[in-house]
Amino acid sequence: MPNKKPLKSISTGSLVALGLSVSSLYSGLQAAETAFETKEIPREKHQPGKMEGMACGANMQMDKTEMVCGSNMRMDVTGMVMYENKEKLPKDCKAISEDVTIEVKAGIDHAKPYPGTVFGLSEHQWEVKPCSRITVEFTNEDEIRHQWMIHGLPKYLYPEGMFHIEVNGKGKKTGTFIVPSSNYTYLVHCDIAQHMEKGMKAQLKVGTGRGDLPSIPGISAAKFADSF
Amino acid sequence: MRLYRLSFAFVTLIFLPSISVAEFPVAPATEDTFLGLVEPFCPESIDPNWRKQQQIENVSISPSPVCAPDNPYDIATFVKGTNNVSMATIMRTQLSPDTLIKKNDLDGDGDPDEIHIRLEVIELNGFSPDQQEPITTYDIAPGIQPGFWAFAPKSRGMSNESFSSTKANTLLRLPSPSIRVEQGDKIIVTLENSHYFPHSIHFHGVDHPFQKENGEGNDGVPQTSNKLTMPGKVFSYELTPRQTGTMVYHCHVQAHTHILMGLIGMFIVEENKPNNWVQTFNVGAGFVRHSSVAVKEKYSQEYDLQYQDLDRELHNLIQQGNDSRLLAKSFNREYNITERTPDYFILNGRSFPYTLRESLIVIKPEEKVKLRVFNAGDEMLSLHTHGFKPTATHLDGVKLSPEARIQRDVFTLGPAQRADLELYARNDGLNNMGEGIWTFHDHNELGVTTDGVYPGGHISSVVFESFLGPNGMPKVQGVDVSPFFTKEFYQRKYPIWNLSDENKLYGEIAKTTESTAKESNEESMDSTQIIILVFQILLLLITLFLIRKTTQKTNA
Repeated sequence: MPNKKPLKSISTGSLVALGLSVSSLYSGLQAAETAFETKEIPREKHQPGKMEGMACGANMQMDKTEMVCGSNMRMDVTGMVMYENKEKLPKDCKAISEDVTIEVKAGIDHAKPYPGTVFGLSEHQWEVKPCSRITVEFTNEDEIRHQWMIHGLPKYLYPEGMFHIEVNGKGKKTGTFIVPSSNYTYLVHCDIAQHMEKGMKAQLKVGTGRGDLPSIPGISAAKFADSF
Repeated sequence: MRLYRLSFAFVTLIFLPSISVAEFPVAPATEDTFLGLVEPFCPESIDPNWRKQQQIENVSISPSPVCAPDNPYDIATFVKGTNNVSMATIMRTQLSPDTLIKKNDLDGDGDPDEIHIRLEVIELNGFSPDQQEPITTYDIAPGIQPGFWAFAPKSRGMSNESFSSTKANTLLRLPSPSIRVEQGDKIIVTLENSHYFPHSIHFHGVDHPFQKENGEGNDGVPQTSNKLTMPGKVFSYELTPRQTGTMVYHCHVQAHTHILMGLIGMFIVEENKPNNWVQTFNVGAGFVRHSSVAVKEKYSQEYDLQYQDLDRELHNLIQQGNDSRLLAKSFNREYNITERTPDYFILNGRSFPYTLRESLIVIKPEEKVKLRVFNAGDEMLSLHTHGFKPTATHLDGVKLSPEARIQRDVFTLGPAQRADLELYARNDGLNNMGEGIWTFHDHNELGVTTDGVYPGGHISSVVFESFLGPNGMPKVQGVDVSPFFTKEFYQRKYPIWNLSDENKLYGEIAKTTESTAKESNEESMDSTQIIILVFQILLLLITLFLIRKTTQKTNA
């Protein structure tokens, strides 16, 4: 197992420098894929109570009725779709380039192809054209909840830069969003603690994308890999 | 000739000290010590309105004047059930719409008697393959993040408090929440195993049948009653408790590690009373903002106090790797509990000084307060209250007869034991010694340290209202508490009395050139490092060779 702590008192500068130079040379030779780092986003407080377009005061009925809270959120006992956007174009798009449907399944059975992971997705990468309108058909095959959550979208269209589908137990939910024009690689994951780390991580490449994110099952290596 | 000169010099050197008059040895100077970044006593992100007495969804919520009170919208939802509150209230929580269903007033006394509770299993401070630091972080004290597992009310959305923070949202924390039900209610507890290991729930001391009506096991013990609830699966337990009391629930899979990792909480059965809407969850234990009818008849306030001790070696296992097979091996075959030593001590999920933000008992003269004390750790707990002698009314959830009630100032509880204590603020020199800030702490002295640094561990205080300042800060009149709110203090970098010590009697000794040389000598490379160095040089040579070869090929 990797020990993330620095090796005991390797303090000699030259030693470290030598190590660095060796590893950089080595990785240069290997022409390893450039790891893509997301920019540091300024800290902001998540306020569950202050969601845009929220207008739902009625008592919730615990049946199939889906509550629509403004235009941005649909929720019921089977799950929710947050910050859906079927119409509004990103500023940099003149028109929708294509309509894409992504079918993705989530559950423990999809982790089998990747030994050592526990929760899985049926696919871990999607490639779309800039300004695509993407409809995600998300099927959860487990009895617990799972999410298909994408980060880094423009905040003027998607509060907190996010589009999110959550399916509460076995079932399916569908939601739509539109991506901007720039080439970018977006993180897609399930944000339940440890679900991403244990396999539920994927990427959406718009246009040519911008490299691969680390530790995507079947695609890229972890920055901090296990040693066996 | 040369040899002669050398030996002469050598001999002179040896005798030098004896022939010269010894000078007064000047001790090294005192160094200024950097205090480190001092965290505020009470973070600004906490909404002060949460502290107020309020009415939400017709639920009266008691004031909670401490720095970090429970979210009142959570409380209202825990009292009414997620099925009986408005969507607007649910949206002010992070609960799932089916976390807590309350329905069917079976005995017609004005409160629901069929309660469906859903629990998830969460991991805090776990491994990330993408960054050095653990993720979904939860600090028990400044800079201290042991790995944990805990039960949590089923939630929705993100685990983190925001998109740019790795801090866990307020529902995800330690200890596993206290659960309150009413005597005679039909309770269904569903375990939704959202974790990567199998788990179960055992209801310790709570009246429950061994089997459910359909014959499935109901005791949560893999060896005798239940199949493992595997990741991604759910299992429901059913019980209709006939007896009241402060009981326990915990995971019974690999109990020697799963319980200690945090999968343990209080399960409290309240007396059946009319219009008795109990607060089903008490997240993070502590003050109960909506006590049951029976408790309110006798007491003005009620607190759940859960004590735990943590062996760093166990809690760090989840930060050492990501592969589920490696983790299973390290927990089940490598970790050896017979070598266990506790390093951290938490009260309601935090060590001192963070206990001061959440776990103060705020009291007025003449008040009678109910404390439910639970030792969920593996060490003995000797709980001592300054300024009070509380009275034990129940042990392990069973009511004591009046003559068996004990009044004393130290209550000792072994692992899994509970005591219900009555804290009576009557200033008679026996029950109480008057107003003040009265510390309550473990008198097993290990328990008041954090990784051996004092003060830490499970120290908190009973604070009389007259001694409570703004933002829940007690008006302490002892030493400056700032150093305790730094990471450096618990990294043993700060001399404890520095701020009280004008003459620097106990300051840090400045490093002289001699001591620096000595230290660097001590830090000379060990064999592992030499091997690494040799390996790196070899690697460099191979790389250079390869580069050369490649360039030669391209040239050719």
